[in-house]
Amino acid sequence: MSDEKIGIISCSGEECLGGTITRLATRKVMEEMRANVAVTLCLPLFLAGGEEERSFAKVFPTISVDGCDKLCAKRGTEKHSGKINGSLDVSKIIGTENALNTKVVMNKHLKSEHFQMVDKVAKEIVKMMDSLDPNANGPKKSGCCCCGGKC
Amino acid sequence: MNFMSEKTKVVPCSGIGKVYGLMAREAVLTAVHELCPGKAETVCLGYIVTGDREAKEKIEGFDCVTVDGCPKMCAAKNVKIAGGVIKEEIKVMDTVKEIKSKNYGSATKLEADGEKVVAAIAAKIAGNIA
Repeated sequence: MSDEKIGIISCSGEECLGGTITRLATRKVMEEMRANVAVTLCLPLFLAGGEEERSFAKVFPTISVDGCDKLCAKRGTEKHSGKINGSLDVSKIIGTENALNTKVVMNKHLKSEHFQMVDKVAKEIVKMMDSLDPNANGPKKSGCCCCGGKC
Repeated sequence: MNFMSEKTKVVPCSGIGKVYGLMAREAVLTAVHELCPGKAETVCLGYIVTGDREAKEKIEGFDCVTVDGCPKMCAAKNVKIAGGVIKEEIKVMDTVKEIKSKNYGSATKLEADGEKVVAAIAAKIAGNIA
């Protein structure tokens, strides 16, 4: 597998479980499954940050991970940063009813069934990462976290 | 006619890179779900970022409390762009300075001291909600 960086932008939505799952699955990929490959950026930084943040999707081949079919991460990234290379709608993986659950959203309320959903989504992210051409966006900068290639 | 809820909107940054983003997120959810149910609600910051009219309508002209985990102040800036009336901009770092610890946890999981910060911020949020 190439060691070129691949960007993952999760919606991290606060209103329902799907958003929590996107955030945790993205973290799992970054920390455990593709620690030296996956990089991320906070979605709202596209508006709150500067040109460096907005160039993220131009610099890294990027996958969006959304918790529901509003696809905010996909649309927000494409609107403010650039065309993405792949997108996942978590509601299609864990089911719409689970994704739109507004009762269980906090980390401290998650049970083993929810962590299984995280694992399932993380596997789908990795599958999509592995199917991408890491050089799709041209030569890449290195990066490790939410720095957009700064560190 | 606007049928949107009159509840105070509480919006965290939910930053994904560091523990402070998780503390912001968990504090807001604690306030909204446990301390002020019926008086406050959250709105997905990612939805606000899309600039959709429907997302803007959830925020524009409403009282809002934002909670940010880093100096970029993503929640506050994006809520302002959407036309929210910010009653309070809460910075996680202010509470972190009050509850000093070497281990708050990570961006994935909070440790006990991280939970203490969350509880303190949630109380601050609740104090801003009528």
